[in-house]
Amino acid sequence: MASGLDSFVNHTVSIITSDGRNFIGTLKGFDQTINIILDESHERVYSTTSGVGQVMLGLHIIRGDNVAIIGLIDEEIDNRLNLSSIKAEPLNPVVH
Amino acid sequence: MLPLSLLRTAQNHPMLVELKNGETYNGHLVSCDNWMNINLREVICTSREGDKFWRMPECYIRGSTIKYLRIPDEVIDMVKEETMIKNKQSRDQKGGRGGQNQRNRPAARGNFGGRGNKPGGPQKLFQKQKPK
Repeated sequence: MASGLDSFVNHTVSIITSDGRNFIGTLKGFDQTINIILDESHERVYSTTSGVGQVMLGLHIIRGDNVAIIGLIDEEIDNRLNLSSIKAEPLNPVVH
Repeated sequence: MLPLSLLRTAQNHPMLVELKNGETYNGHLVSCDNWMNINLREVICTSREGDKFWRMPECYIRGSTIKYLRIPDEVIDMVKEETMIKNKQSRDQKGGRGGQNQRNRPAARGNFGGRGNKPGGPQKLFQKQKPK
């Protein structure tokens, strides 16, 4: 069965987890439970008082249970962002 | 590449495991299974707030409680080697899937037809009923 995620493999993706965090990295693989391999990843930390912080993390396996959204990133647009000037409220965790 | 193949390749490597409850476990991966249940050795557990620490020689973590695992960067390059070796091995095997090795199997299965002829089998029961 073809999954919609096939076309995302080896591309930069943004993953929002159910605890409200945002991970960016290269999607290296996934399985039927949406466990995810994210390579060269970093976390973007949002705050209303200062710009977006980036935390380098490296290689990750994210368990499918915690994945809320996977989005393809247009690197050209992403590179044009001035993260230090962006202020935003952090996301809340998903309420079950 | 499958996440669980990467995890298997990470055996004997250090890793950080964050649980859904926010606790983190740092240790060396001893083993894992298809449900992502994992065995760690030389573990340091950190509380959700990051203010309390526990050391333990080993621990077992149920896969379903895991949020994510952080793995050393170099492990991803080792998976590629492992899958390539596996593919080569299966290609080198004689016959392979549906090959000559399986030719004799249907005859062997036919042996099950012998059931019922043994002494003490259904026939004996039949004989017992005869004198009535």
